Amino acid sequence: MSQEVCNPVEFKFVCPLPNGLHARPASQLAEFAGDFASDLSLTNLRTGVSANLKSTLAIISADIRSGDECSIKVAGADEASAGPALLAYVTRDLPKSDEPLVESGAERRSGPLPRALLAANVRCHFGAGVSPGIGKGTSVVIGGMSLPPELGSERAEDPKREERRIARAMATVRERIKVMLSRSVSPAEAGVLKAHLAIVEDVSLSDKIAELVARGRSAGQALAESAQFFMSILQKSESSYIRDRAVDIQEICHRLLEEIYASKFTAGTLKLNELSIIVAETIAPQQLLGVERKWLQGLVLEYAGRTSHAVILARSLGIPTVVGVKDAPVLLSGERELVVDANRGLVVPNGTAAVRRFYDREYRTLEKRNAALTRSKFRPAITVDGLRMEIAANVSSAEEVAAACANGAEGIGLFRTEMLFIGKDRAPSEEEQFGIYKAAAQAAGQRPVIIRTIDIGGDKPVPHLNLPAESNPFLGYRGMRIYAEHRELFRTQLRAILRASAFGRLQIMAPMVSTIEEVVWLKSQVAQAQDELRNQSIALDPAMPVGIMIEVPSVAFILDQLCAEIDFFSIGTNDLNQYFLAVDRDNAKVAALSSVRHPSFVRFLKHIVDGVHANGKWIGICGEMAGDVRNLPILVGLGLHEISASASQLPALKERISQLSAKTCEELLTRIMACTQAEQVNKLLAEDHSTESSQPLLDSNLVVVGSDSESKEEAIRELIDSLFVAGRTEDPDQLEEVVWAREAAYSTGLGHGFAIPHCRSDLITANSIAVLKLQHPIEWNSLDGKPVRMVVLLAVHESDGNNSHMKVLAKLARKLMNEEFRDYLMKLNDAGSILSYLSQELEIPL
Amino acid sequence: MKIVAVTACPTGIAHTYMAAEQLEKTAKALGHQIKVETQGAMGIENELKESEIRQAEVAIFAVDIEIEKRERFDSLRVVQVPVQEAIKNPISVFKRIQG
Repeated sequence: MSQEVCNPVEFKFVCPLPNGLHARPASQLAEFAGDFASDLSLTNLRTGVSANLKSTLAIISADIRSGDECSIKVAGADEASAGPALLAYVTRDLPKSDEPLVESGAERRSGPLPRALLAANVRCHFGAGVSPGIGKGTSVVIGGMSLPPELGSERAEDPKREERRIARAMATVRERIKVMLSRSVSPAEAGVLKAHLAIVEDVSLSDKIAELVARGRSAGQALAESAQFFMSILQKSESSYIRDRAVDIQEICHRLLEEIYASKFTAGTLKLNELSIIVAETIAPQQLLGVERKWLQGLVLEYAGRTSHAVILARSLGIPTVVGVKDAPVLLSGERELVVDANRGLVVPNGTAAVRRFYDREYRTLEKRNAALTRSKFRPAITVDGLRMEIAANVSSAEEVAAACANGAEGIGLFRTEMLFIGKDRAPSEEEQFGIYKAAAQAAGQRPVIIRTIDIGGDKPVPHLNLPAESNPFLGYRGMRIYAEHRELFRTQLRAILRASAFGRLQIMAPMVSTIEEVVWLKSQVAQAQDELRNQSIALDPAMPVGIMIEVPSVAFILDQLCAEIDFFSIGTNDLNQYFLAVDRDNAKVAALSSVRHPSFVRFLKHIVDGVHANGKWIGICGEMAGDVRNLPILVGLGLHEISASASQLPALKERISQLSAKTCEELLTRIMACTQAEQVNKLLAEDHSTESSQPLLDSNLVVVGSDSESKEEAIRELIDSLFVAGRTEDPDQLEEVVWAREAAYSTGLGHGFAIPHCRSDLITANSIAVLKLQHPIEWNSLDGKPVRMVVLLAVHESDGNNSHMKVLAKLARKLMNEEFRDYLMKLNDAGSILSYLSQELEIPL
Repeated sequence: MKIVAVTACPTGIAHTYMAAEQLEKTAKALGHQIKVETQGAMGIENELKESEIRQAEVAIFAVDIEIEKRERFDSLRVVQVPVQEAIKNPISVFKRIQG
């Protein structure tokens, strides 16, 4: 930060914020400026654009980026005091007023498309899938701000009257938002409402409207034009966060129009009467809520990041959504039928039979996969040899708890509370927090909920705490280390959690513990808060377990002492790994050293888990390591009580655990700990560790008789899909590419009506033989030039040590050279007979 | 005729073994004595011994990739064909070794 003072009422500064002067710092700056009577103007010296410093919108519109030189001019009655105050603000407070970087994360898709879709030869539009699923329907293209025609041509008789209409509407809308804010709403909702309030109160918006009214526009026209004016400025911004805010303006203007015209203005509610896909530049959350859900099958948006309110809403409503499709409304306005394939980040015109056929099959596959996952979703996770593991979810809000339980969570292994504090002007009150924890406890019912107390610090700034900037925040003032100084903040949270403990099975867990003194202090605080509440005759769970995160390596060496004090532990693998290996994962030069699969780290985990077991206490894991099914053999081998990961990963984790044997995993863990490099561990883990009994080479789900595939592309896809439905691959598109890469060497059509496509890849989780008997022979470019009637896919794990499976495949290959075998197999017309014949001939159990 | 053979295909899970099967079957039908080494996903199987290679009159390579331990055959006549040919038309492969 540097600035030079020309005179007290005009000075320059350089924008110190890494994300530029975006909505949040701009609104704080405007709020500060609003206290002065003087005229204040801000000029971006890079672009020459000037803005009223009291207007958030105007400041954002100046598009001030990191490093831009700016000047502030002060003129008016209190300029002598306003100048220095503003200078102090931009010097001291502005650098701290940024919130953590919110990356839109809307990466466009990469990776292969299925050949059957490519063969359809239609123009696909690429974007980023931000709410998964596939939807199809009639495209409904909606524009930005447009007025009903009768309002567009309305004549304003009296500017004064129009002014009054607008002023009344603004007052009403402002009051309504304030009322909504005063009710207890979720933090996410409150954030939206506050952003809306800032827009209603913005002077630039009212100035623009007033200017247009003075030029003879009606209230409606002035509002619509003003909205369009600011939206087009925001949409030009380089920051996706600011672009997303354009929709907030649209929404506010809609509300104002509704207020003024009541029933005449209905742009806020979009009437659909058939299965539809909405295509728009952007869409307002309220507009989305107004749509009848049963008709809305998908959303295609040109501008919207993962953080936009509409996208968050679409995700919670389960609407398949693709964003970032360039010129979506223009490109897609001519298409009647669309498919939104948010799993692949695609929008496909649904006009041809080939596309319809592809997606009809895709639908059926996904339905079958969901049915299979639903079956494992509510089953406990038990290994083939009977070891049960608890599978829990990590969440950041009370709203997520019910959804996690519906996805099979047996508890909440980590409720992060930081989100209640970050990005807020003040800490949430005890009542607010109590409401949130109580809602979480009640949504979980009989399931335990581990609430982690506030975990913030240099890396997760919270402006209202005024934490100092640090040169090395990860080794600094963070986690429970700040509690002693911010005792009131911690006490408030403790009381809220303890009060909520009366309504379910809550547990409390402290982050970033490194010494026994901290634990003793933590317990004394809990006891003290419990006493206070008892004295106030407030109900609580007196036996609420108290635990700590294992993130700092030091605690691994005082487990005996810790176990005497507390009830449970949860391993936070991200931080533990970074402290253990002394590696900053965000530093590209050393990031390669950081691996949770490093043998030393695995040995360390083993030391910790054994130490906790030896003292008879409970231990789970809630870091990123837990969400990767490939790490499961390590976690099962360690003997953890619980694995906690994000809710969407739970069904796959449960399914995989049920295929593993605890004994095999323990043996594997011993081998892993003997490795010298992470790479060797990766190799061992990449092997197929399913037990033979749970994942046989061949099962009835992998044999299809009477397939309606009409091309090689469809047949290969159908075989891959059957592996996907059976949970034998997580990435069918990539696996399909591997099979096609083999076809590129030379065709796998053997002649005699047989084809044997095959692949060796770690995308396969269990060695498999899949069989397709076709209704219609298809061309395969076979050795004898004849079409194919039976397709046998051999899919093998790349780094596999399972020789017995390989021997069976070799035997099958040899048998296929035998005419008798081929003829017999070709004559069989039901899946059962094919299965039993193959099992008998190949001598494999079913 | 005493023949040794090696089969090896790109993925090593299907064509390697199909070609081996075809060569063994056809050799038997034609009255030749053959031993086929497979170099597939399981590594080298049915590995040819030095003495077997020394006693053989010819080697058939039904291969699409570089094979391992090629030097064992340095002093033997080698007939090399694509794997596909051994599968599709093994008799023609044996005709070629006569020439």
